[in-house]
Amino acid sequence: MKFAHMADVHIGSWKDPKLKDMSTEAFIKAVSICIEKKVDFILIAGDLFNTALPGIDGLKSVVKEFKVLRDKGISVYVIPGSHDYSPSGKTMIDVLEEAGLLKNVFKGKVVDGKIQLRFTKDEKTGAKITGILGRRGTLEKLYYQELDLEHLEKEQGKKIFMFHTSITELKPGSKSVMDSTDVSYMPKNFEYYSGGHVHIVNKYSFKDHKNVVYPGPLFPANFEELEELGVGGFFIYNDTLIHHGDSHFERIDINIKNTLPIKIDCNHKSPEEVYQMILDKITGKELLNTIVLIRVAGTLKTGKVSDINFKELFLKCYAQGAFYVMRNTVKVLSSEYEELRIEDYSPEDIEESMIKEHIGQIKVSGFTSEKELVITKELMHFLSSEKHEGEKVYEYDDRIKKDIDKLLEL
Amino acid sequence: MGNLSDVRVDSKKNPVKGQIISGKFGEVFARQKSDSEFELGEILVCETLDPENNSSTSKTFFQVYDLQYGSQISQQNLEMISGMMLEENSDIEFMDKNLRNYKLALLKNLITIGRDDNVMMSKALPEIFSSVRTIKDSDLSFMKTPKNPIFLGKLRSGSKALDVDINLDGSQALTHHILISGTTGKGKSVLMSNILWDCTGKDYNGLLVLDPHNEYFLGNGKIGLRNHPSGKIVYYTAKNLIVGARSLKINIRILRPSHFGCLDFSDAQEQAMNAYYKDFGIKWLEAILLDKKTNSVFNDATIHVLKRRMMYLLDIDVGNGEVYCNGIFDFNAGEGSISNICDALESANTVIIDTSAFSGQVELLVGSLITTELFNRYKNYKMIDTLANKPVISIVLEEAPRVLGKDILEKGSNIFSTIAREGRKFKVGLIAITQLPSLIPRDILANINTKIILGTEMIQERQAIIDSASQDLSNDSRNIASLDKGECIISSNFAKFPIPVKVPFFEEFAARTLNPAAKTDNKKNTSYMGLSE
Repeated sequence: MKFAHMADVHIGSWKDPKLKDMSTEAFIKAVSICIEKKVDFILIAGDLFNTALPGIDGLKSVVKEFKVLRDKGISVYVIPGSHDYSPSGKTMIDVLEEAGLLKNVFKGKVVDGKIQLRFTKDEKTGAKITGILGRRGTLEKLYYQELDLEHLEKEQGKKIFMFHTSITELKPGSKSVMDSTDVSYMPKNFEYYSGGHVHIVNKYSFKDHKNVVYPGPLFPANFEELEELGVGGFFIYNDTLIHHGDSHFERIDINIKNTLPIKIDCNHKSPEEVYQMILDKITGKELLNTIVLIRVAGTLKTGKVSDINFKELFLKCYAQGAFYVMRNTVKVLSSEYEELRIEDYSPEDIEESMIKEHIGQIKVSGFTSEKELVITKELMHFLSSEKHEGEKVYEYDDRIKKDIDKLLEL
Repeated sequence: MGNLSDVRVDSKKNPVKGQIISGKFGEVFARQKSDSEFELGEILVCETLDPENNSSTSKTFFQVYDLQYGSQISQQNLEMISGMMLEENSDIEFMDKNLRNYKLALLKNLITIGRDDNVMMSKALPEIFSSVRTIKDSDLSFMKTPKNPIFLGKLRSGSKALDVDINLDGSQALTHHILISGTTGKGKSVLMSNILWDCTGKDYNGLLVLDPHNEYFLGNGKIGLRNHPSGKIVYYTAKNLIVGARSLKINIRILRPSHFGCLDFSDAQEQAMNAYYKDFGIKWLEAILLDKKTNSVFNDATIHVLKRRMMYLLDIDVGNGEVYCNGIFDFNAGEGSISNICDALESANTVIIDTSAFSGQVELLVGSLITTELFNRYKNYKMIDTLANKPVISIVLEEAPRVLGKDILEKGSNIFSTIAREGRKFKVGLIAITQLPSLIPRDILANINTKIILGTEMIQERQAIIDSASQDLSNDSRNIASLDKGECIISSNFAKFPIPVKVPFFEEFAARTLNPAAKTDNKKNTSYMGLSE
């Protein structure tokens, strides 16, 4: 049994014209490697598309690849992810399944309040595949809590469990606040646990859960991921040993573009000094086909962020052949005054910047600016909380009111 | 004999058990009525009546702390009479035997209750020949349930429990630390289980439990904390993973030299750790394990010993230039564990860490990691003025002298001793459990403002507790020694007097709040979108 495990392809995620085709390119390249490596089948553990109803261009390219795979006799098994699942059922995954291009393995029925998952058997290898979809707000967590584990564990054979959720024990420190499911909610003693959702590369074995794997995205989905991961990729798993008998895994990197992350600490520096520091980092560098990522953080000694001549730096990068240049200055403060420029960073960063920008505008007695920041963030957190599965509207209202009352000490 | 109507109680409503006859403040002698029985620890009430309308003007609570015989016959004659009974089978009968031979109790003043349930420290002696009677539930109407109650048991008078709940104010008692002391088998674990059960699910507190016997979550009998109806229990284990448990994994890169402060590393080893951290940052442990050199000069033997100890402590093997993790410490997992545990505590959960598979040192290291992160967070909350919104956190430490003992603290303070001294300012407290309180320094014991004292036979241990108690227990040594299983005395800054308590069995206590129907109702509304046949 030899299969490829990919996840978080996010076709259509980048909006910038220069980057919007990157995830599709990465997918085409990955499929071609799978064919070359003669895998028996491919697992896509959620978020093939960035939305339930993706754009025509990306869809067309993907369908073309699936057809090639079908013609080569390589089956594709998927679960919907938090991005490409739709509660209405109107998801492209269903359309592709109806067309016979892939199989959604999240199948089963509810028996006595418990979810009894059904295995999808890969005819070529006999592998038995099942899994649980991902949903926005980690609503799939409830599915795990009601999963009939005994039913899954008693099945004999080579079993694969697909999931699109964060596992508590494997969450990276930077995502520790992300909602997650404990590994104990997953069935024990499967051959392979094919994960998605958390954009990290990790393969880990617990005592009763061997080969719990996150392959990371096929192409990084935002500025931070481009900085941290550089490239996307996937795993090929072979149940017979490969690499001279030392591993079952082969990591395949999908290198569409090079990346050059530049991190500048601007504390006690003037805009001119920051400019020079960045310039020093790019001067003489071969930037052909490279995405340049400039992150500046700290408090400027003088001036403001707009005094850093990024325009000229960008031009220099492009002159040296850079494919695309991005900057992140969300964490730049000025000792004189603050100016906010928001570009290419996470929603949390943007939210925090917006709050900081407007803090103190309405005077509330007893509120320090720090307290105002914390309370505002917590209020936003409570107000963005979604209704839980099975929670009635009045219960939901009540919960939100209680949380806010407690926060505001009403 | 004078008129005693002002000191006698109504004998129909309140049967007399004895009468005060002599003594001094705190050492009052009372004679037992022949048809009654005084017990050690028993609470007796002496009422002062208004002679006009025979109503009670005040009640003074006394507690029996010693018992002895009294007789109108000399010791020599008593011995002679006994000899005649034993050796000559004489059938001697005393005239007015109940008048001639009797029992005496030594009583200490507890409190005085004035009109309108006004509670005062006792400052006066009752009249001589005042009657004392057994305490009744209605005498305790002054005891109000606090805002955030922790239920500890029923009020006990001697060996009898009254139907009066004893609660401490949790938000106060938990931040000002609690000590639970007693010999093995006297009920420390049952009491702790009850406290955990009672506190769990209440928004004002979060509890961190380092459980070296893995007894609280699973429970020794049918019920454990896993059955708690609130569902606000987070359980970490490194052993068999039951559904709902979390596999305890801690990422090695979050470890810092300061986390090892509660373990017995030498000064040289500590300096080496700090030097490695300075040179290699978060990869300092890998550098030690892979024999990398620091810029500082250390004796080779120091580094070898440090490496060997780290390998043993963290359960790590090194070979072919690679590090292999076998235990809970890992490079590829557990990055968010400490943070998640602290988040859970901040959300008023009870977090139980099963440390039964660890050596004592690993247990302390894990405890130190969590506690350090948590304490730093709470200090920060205080700084930014948001501490008031946070729940009180209490850290349960079994065999507390391992981290709060004199010998360990002589080498320097650690996070637990810091919390013992400063934690109350930041709403972080300890529940220290031990059978050897004498090993804890006096200044730490003095900072623990609630002491729950279970039966303790060893005089040295009793004395350590008595010397640091919140109320005067100087006469209670015998009383403490005689405490039976499940009987305790609570001495607290937040209690009016040292309260004798009968602790209920855990299963009985937990069963009161268990509602087996509650969980099944939740399932009715759950739909599983996306699932198809």
